[in-house]
Amino acid sequence: MDERAVIAETPATRQEVSTEGRIARIAPDREERVFLLLSIFIGVISGLLVVSFRMAIEWLSVLLLGSAPSPHQPRLIIIPALAGLVIAVLTRFVFPNVRGSGINQTKAALYIHNGYISFRTVIGKFLLSALAIGSGYSLGPEDPSLQIGAGVASLVSRRFGMSKEKLRIFAPIGAAAGLAAAFNAPISAILFVIEEVIGQWSAAVLGSIVLAAVASVVVARSFWGPEPMFRIPTVTLRDSRELLAYAVLGIVGGFASLLFARALSYLRAALRRQPAWSQMLQPAVAGLLVGGIGYFGFTQVMGAGYEAIDQAMHSQFAWKMLLVLALLKIIATTLSFSSGTPGGMFAPTLFIGAMLGAAVGSFEKLYFPHLTGSIGSYALVGMGVLFAAFLRAPLTSVFMVLEVSGNYSIVLPVILANTIAYLISRGLQPIPIFEELTRQDGLYLPSMEELREESNLRLEDAMKPVTVPVLEGSQTIADAAATLANYKDHGSAHEILVHCGDGLWYAAKKEELEALFSTAGADSFEEPTIGSTELRGVTLEERLGDERTPILFPDLPLSSALPHFHRWPLLPITNRAIRGSLEGVVSLEDVLNRYQQGAHNH
Amino acid sequence: MTLETDNEWSEKRRLILRDTLTFLSLTLITAVLFAVTLFLFRSFAFHREELAERWSARGREALASGRPDQAIVALRTALSYAPGDRTYELLLAQSLADAGHTEEAYNYFLGLWETQPGDGLINLRLARLTASKKDMQSAINYYRGAIYGTWEGDGALRRREVRLELARYLIAHHDLSNARTELLVAGGNAPDDVGLILTLAPLLEQAGAPTDALNYYKKVLARDPDNRTALEAAGRLEYEFGNFEESYRLFEHAEREHTEGGLDSTKQTSPSTVMMDNAARILALAPQRSLPAKERAARILKARDIAKKRFEACNAKATAASEMSSPLQTLAASWASKEATASLIELLKDPSRQDAAMKLIYNTEEQTEQVCGAPTGDDALLLLLAKSPKMMEQ
Repeated sequence: MDERAVIAETPATRQEVSTEGRIARIAPDREERVFLLLSIFIGVISGLLVVSFRMAIEWLSVLLLGSAPSPHQPRLIIIPALAGLVIAVLTRFVFPNVRGSGINQTKAALYIHNGYISFRTVIGKFLLSALAIGSGYSLGPEDPSLQIGAGVASLVSRRFGMSKEKLRIFAPIGAAAGLAAAFNAPISAILFVIEEVIGQWSAAVLGSIVLAAVASVVVARSFWGPEPMFRIPTVTLRDSRELLAYAVLGIVGGFASLLFARALSYLRAALRRQPAWSQMLQPAVAGLLVGGIGYFGFTQVMGAGYEAIDQAMHSQFAWKMLLVLALLKIIATTLSFSSGTPGGMFAPTLFIGAMLGAAVGSFEKLYFPHLTGSIGSYALVGMGVLFAAFLRAPLTSVFMVLEVSGNYSIVLPVILANTIAYLISRGLQPIPIFEELTRQDGLYLPSMEELREESNLRLEDAMKPVTVPVLEGSQTIADAAATLANYKDHGSAHEILVHCGDGLWYAAKKEELEALFSTAGADSFEEPTIGSTELRGVTLEERLGDERTPILFPDLPLSSALPHFHRWPLLPITNRAIRGSLEGVVSLEDVLNRYQQGAHNH
Repeated sequence: MTLETDNEWSEKRRLILRDTLTFLSLTLITAVLFAVTLFLFRSFAFHREELAERWSARGREALASGRPDQAIVALRTALSYAPGDRTYELLLAQSLADAGHTEEAYNYFLGLWETQPGDGLINLRLARLTASKKDMQSAINYYRGAIYGTWEGDGALRRREVRLELARYLIAHHDLSNARTELLVAGGNAPDDVGLILTLAPLLEQAGAPTDALNYYKKVLARDPDNRTALEAAGRLEYEFGNFEESYRLFEHAEREHTEGGLDSTKQTSPSTVMMDNAARILALAPQRSLPAKERAARILKARDIAKKRFEACNAKATAASEMSSPLQTLAASWASKEATASLIELLKDPSRQDAAMKLIYNTEEQTEQVCGAPTGDDALLLLLAKSPKMMEQ
C-alpha cells in the first residue's frame, strides 16, 4: 500500500517544465537569490508547525488518557484501541501516505519524486501522528516532524516555481528544520539529515540547511524556552577504568538494538503480508496490547516517554525495573510501528537507550561503588549508543549527546560505547533498519551507509607509466620532427606528449603532429626535409597555440578525467608538489577498464 | 528582436511582481500561523500551569497528611506539566525522602544540587540524607554547604539552625571538639537572645564544654537574673565545679522564683533540690580557711569523726571478708598516728596539723570508696570536698 501511495505522489507536469524553462531563460539567477530567503521561511514555518504538533500531542494525551495516567485505568486500554481504529480508517481512505516514521518517505520524496510531498500528507502526518502518540502508542514525534518540515519545504518551493533540481534540494532543508525544532538540537538535526537523508556533504545545501534549522530552533525555543529536552545531570569521567563500564554499555546497546531491529523487521513484514481487512485492525490490536502494558503497571512505555527518560537520568528506577522498561518499550514500539500507525522511532530509541544506560549505571553503582560516574551520564551515553546502533547514524549520535548534555567531558565514553554498539549492530545486521523497511515497501533507495563507505576510484588506480614519445615544446618544428624520428617504436605511437615551457602539457594525436609538420615543410616523421625557413624556425608550442591538457593529479576521482577525453586522446597526470612533473598517463580505455574491474570487484 | 526583448522584459516584470506577491503572501501566512500558534500556545501553557498547580496542591496535601507515596505520584505529574519547577522538585525530593526512598531522594537532591550547589536548603536535605546513610564526612560537608549557602528569607536564622543541627550531629558522633567550635561560632554570631542562649548552653555541656556553658548561663542571668532554668543549670554547673556556695545561692534563688511564681511550693525531690541540700550541708560541714580558726578546727574534728566511722565500718567489713587490702592497712596506720587523735587545742595551736587531719579525712574517704564502694550521707559530701580543693581554699 505504501509503495503504491508513494508513487501516486505525481510531481511536475509538462506545463510546469515549460514554465521552469521560461523562468530560467529570463531570470537565470532568480533561484539562487530566493534560495536562502526561502530556507529561512521554511525554517520558521516548520518550527511553528512542530510547536503546534507537540502541543497537539500533549493536549490529546491529557484529553484522552487523563492528566495523570496510572495503572488499572480501563481507558488505558480502550483509548489506544479506539484511536487505532480511527487511524486505520483515515490512513486507508484519506491519508494513504502517512504510514511509517517519515524518514523513508522523505528520502523517497528526495530520490524518487523530485522532492514532492503533498499538502495532504503533511496534514495527515500531523493529525494522525498526534492522535497516535497522544493516545499512548509507543512512538515519537521527531520523525513525523522531519516529514512535516520536508512537506512544508516542498509546498513552499513549489509555490515559487522552483526548478526540479531545487525542489529536490528543498526537501532535506525542511527535514532538517522539522527535526531541529522537534529535538531542540540544530547540530544533530543537520548532521542526521546529511548522514541519513542526503548521504553526503553538499556545499549547495549545507548553508540552507543550517539557516532553516537555526530558524526553526529559534522559533521553537521562543515557545518552549531554551531548556534542553531532558534535565541533564553533571557528567564527569574521573576514573578512566570507568570506560570499561561504558564499553559494557556499548555491548549491551549493540545487542539490544539488534533485538529491536530484528523484531521490527520480522513483525512488520509478517503483518504486511496479512489480508487488507486484517491490516485495518492491526493498529487497534497494537493499541490494545500497548495499552495493556500500561494498564498492568508500566504506563511509562506509553507515548514518547520523555518523562521516564528524565526519571531514569535522575536515578528514579532500580536497575531491574530499568531493564524491564527497556524490554517492554522494544515490544511496545515494535507493535506500534509494525501495525502501520504513523509515528517516529527516535523517541523510543532514546527511551530504550536511556533505560539500558541507567541500568548499567545503577548496576555499576551497586557492585562497583568506587567508580564515580553518575547514573545520568550512563543514561545519556545509552541514548547515544542506541541511536548509533539502531538508527545507524554514528556521527549524529555522538554530536547529539554532546549537544543535549552541553558537556564535552562525556565525549570519550560516548565515542567508545557508540563505536562498539555500531560495530556489533553492523556486524550482525548488515542491512540498516531504514533500508530494510524501504525494501519491505518495495522501494530501492540509496543506502546511506554504503554511500558513506563507498571507496571511490581515483586516477592513480587507472594511471599507466608514460610509454608514448615526449617532446619539448621549446623545440623547433624541425627539431621536434627529428627527435620524433629518432624515437624507438615511434611508428606504433598514436599519441605524443608535448611538455610546454609553462610546465603544462599538450597531448597530441599522431595525425595532428603530422599535419603540423607537413605545414611547416617537415613532410613526415620519417624524412624531415627543409621547407619554409620561417615556419621551420617556429617552436612546437607556438604552433600548438595556448590550449593545454587539464591539470590532473593522481588523487582526483577517476570520473574527473571523463569529460576531457572528447578533446584529448591521453591525459597526463602530474605531481602536486612539482609543477609539470609527470606521474603517468590515463587514456579513456584505461579509465573504462578500471571501472569494469571495480564493478567486478563489487 | 526588439519585440522579443520587450516581451522578455515584460515577462521579467511579471515574474518580479509574482515573486514579490508570493513572498508577501508567504510573510502573511507565516505571521498568521505565528499568531495562531501563539494564541494556542498561551492557552496550552495556561492549561498546563493549571494542571501543574492542581497536582502540586494534591502533592502538598498528601505530604502534609503523611502520605508521601501519593505525594510522589502527584508531584511527578505536576512536574510533567511544569518541568524544572524548583518548588515542585524540592517537594518531590522531600516526598521521596519521607517515603523512605533514600537513594532516590538522595539522587534527586544531588541532581538539584548539581545545578545549584550553593543552595542552603538542598545542602541541608543532602546532609540529612547522607547522615542517614552513615556517610559522616559527606554529611558534614553538606551541612557546611548549607551553612555557607544561600537561603530564601531569614538566612541568618536558617544558617544558625543548621549550625546547631550540625553541632548536635557532631555530638551524637562524639566529635565534641568540632561540635564545641560550631556552637561557639553560632553563639558568637547570635543576637543576645535568652532563648537562643538557653539552647546553646546545654549543647555546650553535651559537647564537653561546661565552662562555656556556665558562661552562657551567666550571660542569661545578666539579662534576666530571675530565669529559673538558667539559675538551676548554673547552680548545677557551679556544684559540679565545687563552687558550693555559689551553687547554693543560685539554687536558692531558683527555688525562690519557683515559689514566687505561684508554682507548687511543696518541696519535690529533684536533682536540683538534692544538689541544693547537698550544697547547704557541704557549706555547713566544710572547714574552709575563711572561717574563724575555732570554728574551722571544730569542723575538722567533726569531719574526722565522720571519716573515722567510715574507716572503721569499711575496715570491719573488709576484715569480715578477709580482704584486708594494702590501702586500708596504710589507712589503719594513719588512724593509729597522733594526727588522728589531735584535740581542738592542738589543732588551734598548729595549723599544719589541721591540714594533716584534713588530708587523713580525704584519704580515708577516697580509699574507702575504692574498697567499700560509694559512700552516702556526709561521707559522700566529704568525698565531694576531697575532689574540690578549690572549695577548701576559700
